[in-house]
Amino acid sequence: MSENIERRRFLKCLGASSLILAPLGCSSVKEGESDANKPHYAMVFDQNKCTGCGECKEACNLANNLPEGKSRLLMEQHSGGLEGQSCPHCGKTTECGCERKFVRVSCQQCKNAPCVTVCPTGAAHRDEKTGIVTMDAAKCAGCKYCIAACPYDARFINKETDVADNCDFCLNSKLAIGELPACVQKCRYDALIFGDINDPTSYISKLLRVKDSVRIKPGFGTEPSLRYIPIVKLGV
Amino acid sequence: MDGNIEFTMGLSDGLAWPWPIAVYLFFAGISGGALATALFLRFYKKQTTNTPFYKAAALISFVTISLGMLCLVLDLTNPLFFWRILVYYNLNSVMSIGVIALSVYIPLVAVIALFALEEEIRSIPALKALVPVIEKLKGIRRPCEVSVLVLALAVCAYTGFLISALVRFPIINTSVLPALFIASGISAGAAAAKMLAVSVFKEDLHSQDMKILHGAEWPIMIAEMLFIFMIVTSLMTGNAGAQSAFNAFHTGQWAAVFWFGVVGLGFGGPLLLNFATGKTFSHSAKAFYLSGVCAVAGMMCLRMFILYAGQLYAI
Ligand code: SF4
Ligand code: SF4
Repeated sequence: MSENIERRRFLKCLGASSLILAPLGCSSVKEGESDANKPHYAMVFDQNKCTGCGECKEACNLANNLPEGKSRLLMEQHSGGLEGQSCPHCGKTTECGCERKFVRVSCQQCKNAPCVTVCPTGAAHRDEKTGIVTMDAAKCAGCKYCIAACPYDARFINKETDVADNCDFCLNSKLAIGELPACVQKCRYDALIFGDINDPTSYISKLLRVKDSVRIKPGFGTEPSLRYIPIVKLGV
Repeated sequence: MDGNIEFTMGLSDGLAWPWPIAVYLFFAGISGGALATALFLRFYKKQTTNTPFYKAAALISFVTISLGMLCLVLDLTNPLFFWRILVYYNLNSVMSIGVIALSVYIPLVAVIALFALEEEIRSIPALKALVPVIEKLKGIRRPCEVSVLVLALAVCAYTGFLISALVRFPIINTSVLPALFIASGISAGAAAAKMLAVSVFKEDLHSQDMKILHGAEWPIMIAEMLFIFMIVTSLMTGNAGAQSAFNAFHTGQWAAVFWFGVVGLGFGGPLLLNFATGKTFSHSAKAFYLSGVCAVAGMMCLRMFILYAGQLYAI
């Protein structure tokens, strides 16, 4: 009964809102329309597999010549052991010291990227061929507007070049020579998967078809391209 | 697990925009506010001479916008990159549009200052070279004044739009901000220009112009309070992110800046000085300057509060 009402109300709203939203839809998309023929590169971070070893970060720093103490990504530890449960690593039920749950913090490669919209010089831009959000360091004025605008706080100033920087899937270092991003190559646990989700035959597309994944803070409407497979505890 | 993952750490370590930007917002507001008030008054009273208030406003407007630009440039990670903002444009960016507006506004303010201070310039031998320039430009004075009035308001509003585009900060990301910045820019700009008009350009404390300006002060202040009230209530009754940002108004050091600086100094100061003191004191020069300083300081606190507390409470 209540389900029925819910559904009816939902359909009604859908009908009404489509009337209002349809004309807006054409104008509200600021950046280029997504084109099915173009690639849409995405990355999956599998929280079940990540051990927080941090080798992805080292590989990234090396591949992209980042100065000491700065990285395009970091690992946030979300929880240590849960009391009364055995550690999936070492099996101990008491304080084992193993770190268990990590979130990869990096540029989410938004399809509708605020950093690109606000950048006054076009330095923060979308690469034409790949659609990846990247930097043209020669244009950046260092105003930090993009840093304030990024809802994920995923940008920073590279102290060596004095310009803004973000993870661009190694667009200019690894992808340019036909390799996978450095972090993906380095991960020993296969916690990172990278590929084109516009290509239905790619491994990442197949994976996303069978696995549940979430995006972080989708409410900002930025349509991030990073997907996360969270640890889901079954049972009580 | 309710189907969601979050992270709280960021890569930028700390505030993207520190105090020089607040000072820039402050200067840009004063510049636009002072000039807009003077031109309103000029058109409203159909003045043709250079009144003391007009002179003061033109001078203040030029000096503050120049200082504001200095803050902006010094806040770049490398000030030598400044030319890039002037060479490359992205019309989707509020900042880019602001740069275009400012690059018309600043030269026009300089021209207005030349017109306004013509007498002074003529009397200073070192500045004689400017006199023929003034003579040449005289023919287009009116169109200059009209366009600079529009641009002055645009600059005030632009400083609001510039930061209200930052989606992750509930205090900053509100559509009322540009209106608030116009109102507070006008009240502080007018206060600053009034003080300069009386102290340097020998305006009479109780002249007709001053009376009109005093009269306009209160409605503008009420508008400001209303805008702030709108922001506060929308945060108080908003979603979880907005509600946590509401904490900025009652906890921590920025709450103190808000209550003492914005409310106490900015609103309370002028109100008490004008209505709670005896007639002789409230009409004295001392009260006049004090309440002017209060209005300007209150506005600076407002910009600081919005920028710092705003960036502190991210969602
Ligand atoms: S996560 Fe931030 S830096 Fe990356 S595309 Fe989105 S807005 Fe830009
Ligand atoms: S810091 Fe550089 S990339 Fe970021 S908005 Fe400013 S100019 Fe653009």
